[in-house]
Amino acid sequence: MGNFLQNVVNQIDPYVMQILVNIGIGIILALGLNVITGLAGQLSLGHAAFMSIGAFTGAILTIKLGMPFGVNLLCSGFMAALFSVLIGFPTLRLSGDYLAIATLGFAEILKVVFLNLDITNRALGLSVPPPYSSIPLPVYVLISVVLAVTALALMQESRFGRALKAIREDEIAAEAMGVNATRYKIQAFAIGSFYAGVGGCLYAHFIAYINPSDFGFLKSIDILNMVVLGGLGSIPGVILGASLLTTAPEFLGFMKQYRMLVYGIILIILMLFRPNGLLGGVSFKEMVLKIFRKRTQPSRA
Amino acid sequence: MKKLIIISLLLGLVMMTWAGYGLSKESDTLKIGFLGALTGDVAMYGQPTLAGMKMAASEINQAGGVLGKKIVIVEADNRGDKQEAATIVQRFISRDKVIAIVGDPTTGITKVAAPICERNKVILLSAGATGTGVVELGKYIFRDTLLDTVAVPALIDYFVSNAGFKKVAVITSDNNDYSVGLTQVFKNAIKGKDCTIVSDEKVKDGDKDFSAQITNIKAKNPDIIFFSGYYTEGSLIMKEARKQGMKINMFGGDGLYSPTLISLGGQAIEGSMVYVGFSPEQPTPETAKFIEKYKTANKGVIPGLFEAQGYDAVRILAEALQRAKSSQPAKFRDAVAKTKDYKGVSGTITFQANQEPLKSPVYLLEIKNGQFALKAKVPVK
Amino acid sequence: MLWQQLINGLALGSTYALIALGYTMVYGIIQLINFAHGEIFMAGAFFAFLMVMVLKVNIFIALILAMAFCMLLGIFIEFVAYRRLRNSSRLSALISAIGVSIFLSTLALLVFGADAKGFPDGIFPNGQLQLGSVSISFLQILIFVVSGFLMLTLQFIVHRTKIGKAMRATSQDYNTAALMGVNVNMVISFTFALGSMLAAAGGVLVGVYFNAVSFNMGLLVGLKAFAAAVLGGIGSIPGAMLGGILLGVTEVFTVTVGFSSYRDAIAFAVLVLVLLFRPSGLLGQKIQKKV
Repeated sequence: MGNFLQNVVNQIDPYVMQILVNIGIGIILALGLNVITGLAGQLSLGHAAFMSIGAFTGAILTIKLGMPFGVNLLCSGFMAALFSVLIGFPTLRLSGDYLAIATLGFAEILKVVFLNLDITNRALGLSVPPPYSSIPLPVYVLISVVLAVTALALMQESRFGRALKAIREDEIAAEAMGVNATRYKIQAFAIGSFYAGVGGCLYAHFIAYINPSDFGFLKSIDILNMVVLGGLGSIPGVILGASLLTTAPEFLGFMKQYRMLVYGIILIILMLFRPNGLLGGVSFKEMVLKIFRKRTQPSRA
Repeated sequence: MKKLIIISLLLGLVMMTWAGYGLSKESDTLKIGFLGALTGDVAMYGQPTLAGMKMAASEINQAGGVLGKKIVIVEADNRGDKQEAATIVQRFISRDKVIAIVGDPTTGITKVAAPICERNKVILLSAGATGTGVVELGKYIFRDTLLDTVAVPALIDYFVSNAGFKKVAVITSDNNDYSVGLTQVFKNAIKGKDCTIVSDEKVKDGDKDFSAQITNIKAKNPDIIFFSGYYTEGSLIMKEARKQGMKINMFGGDGLYSPTLISLGGQAIEGSMVYVGFSPEQPTPETAKFIEKYKTANKGVIPGLFEAQGYDAVRILAEALQRAKSSQPAKFRDAVAKTKDYKGVSGTITFQANQEPLKSPVYLLEIKNGQFALKAKVPVK
Repeated sequence: MLWQQLINGLALGSTYALIALGYTMVYGIIQLINFAHGEIFMAGAFFAFLMVMVLKVNIFIALILAMAFCMLLGIFIEFVAYRRLRNSSRLSALISAIGVSIFLSTLALLVFGADAKGFPDGIFPNGQLQLGSVSISFLQILIFVVSGFLMLTLQFIVHRTKIGKAMRATSQDYNTAALMGVNVNMVISFTFALGSMLAAAGGVLVGVYFNAVSFNMGLLVGLKAFAAAVLGGIGSIPGAMLGGILLGVTEVFTVTVGFSSYRDAIAFAVLVLVLLFRPSGLLGQKIQKKV
């Protein structure tokens, strides 16, 4: 099985594969933030911190214990979720911009702590060996993306998803209707962080070298850009945002050093003309149904 | 519908640019990839490295190229971002078909690039990575930098016996892998020597305020400050020390070695010392020629360490190609590994059996009258 | 040594306060975290640097010119990047601000290169006040005085003048203010002009004080200043001053007791702790939840 999959993976141009895996990891990270910011409406500026927890947990489990990669992925996700609950209890009482700065503060604190721990090898970082698994990493990324999208699509339509949307629209009204806002917010935070942890673990093994400084404020902003640019709360939007921003450096490459200049302008222009993101308001279910209907309807001759 | 048009336009753009990469296939050139940042926080190391590489390539091409082919430097900007660096390395290898990659000037990204290069049997010659655990990542991984593990013990001996320093204050930039690594080397090397560390302070790259650390150090009254980080912070640290009335000087590794150290530090940096494997102040004939040519080509800008190392990297590769008489990976790799006493502009370089470079002697430079002046040549054991 | 460290902390804190004032004012009026504020601060510093190096003007004249330049820059940015987004979600405005920030810092990198630039030695009278073992430089005193003065001026403008009244009305309810005859566009432009002037003043003083101007100074110092503004209670002008000083002193004393590697962590930990006990910062107004 492993050999067969490896052969399939080898058929694809490694450069294209590299980009596809980057997109996949970006999608997982962005979907996680989408649960927190898009569904529950809580602005987090520290998503990269949870990614770093997953990345270092995954790296250390592979290095020290040689843990099978599938289990490792789950452990990394749960570790990130665990931390998010610990942090969520006190901070999720804060509202709006105060929550944003608290998450940013937490991310900065975590980065400094990682820079001072021996187990993370301080600023020297960790070289991560290949994952312990016969199944190639890109397959894990693909499976994770599919699971992440499916889970989120189901979640959105569930009682839980509707409660989160109610909190996003009006927290007080939601509470008046009997929604325990704090509990739901913490759950959303934990789920989003679980995604971040899984994404971080995949990232660590894919890039093969991690360093606490990689997961700073700018990384959090990158992920936030994916979510908002694609369309807050919309799964197809987030997928599009993650794909575009991950490949942006590639197709803006011909601009050489002017690339970041253009990137800044694109962000502004997109927000000015599509403030709700490229696919803001487009739901995954509707999109799938639409395609499905088109396929099944016999074309009129 | 409008959405669909926008999306398909964007997708089209992506496709077009990807397709563009496949078109440029010429077999009468040898491609060397430049891996480094041209924008972003570490652009100050990438930009000069590329400038040095380009100069080496144009010189080689003017002299008729290598193996009858022209050398082309393929450049890309990784912004200091690891994910992007990995993609670029993969692109260099599978699309551009480079024969070797020079860079990255930072240790971190070199470690990201190394496994990919090793897997694809493409030489990675880092023109700047000095941290630990780099060449261990594979047979195809090299670097042309001065190794601190070699230089530091020799220097400590020199300082203790010639200058009589007994108390040293160590400052580390703890979000900088180079600095953290160099401090470890320093602390290991000073054990058992007649010299103690009286103060161990931490700063961060990007910090501007060092007043609190300097006040702490001042209270301990050391003979000298050892700073293991880069030149921007180095010059600001000395400014602050002078501001607080300290007469003390600083010394550090080649991370400090840049004209900016002096232009930013001004009077405060006078008397401070750096060690390098390269000395434009008492140049070998090769170095003198390089400096002159670089100055004429770049409006009088004096090249620094990164220009020199980038230049040497391309030269070393070209020389190895000549010896290998082929760009076939295994032969090319063995030829690079056999580089011995190469008279580079950044020092004389020999690759040891474990691929680590040996550069000797170490030059200790002192800043005098706003210029780096040679203070001593310290032989390396 | 303790007294010296206190002075160090106060000086550092004043630089944070100087930038935090602008952050907090813009936020107070239009509830936008203006991420480009740090880049305006950087632009001011570079503009003054150019004036001093190329045109050889006096540093104080350069300061005034930089303030004028950034005033225009601020108005322009608001007009181009934020005005259309006033009724969209706040996240869109935030992303637009990030776009501006990326644009400006990349532009500075392209124009000035990656290395930090320093003002020439002796550009500012380099005297020192010696009180026993404690030394205070004139520049430290100046920064402290200027930030205090600006805080009072802002407080006066916002609370005692007609335009200030209009600003407060706009901040309370944008639409009602417009209906009551307040020219909200003008008020918001004025707010940005004022905020950007403050940023420029901060940029020049901090650039001279730390003797380094670089393309990324906006992000690094801006983040701390933002934290300081929130610590003091974002939207509160005295709060920004208090938050800045508190953050500066905390950082310096973290180093003093030997935890220099945890400096940034402690600073942010204080911020998070304060927020837990006072969810809207030290001097911030309680957020009223409308039902």
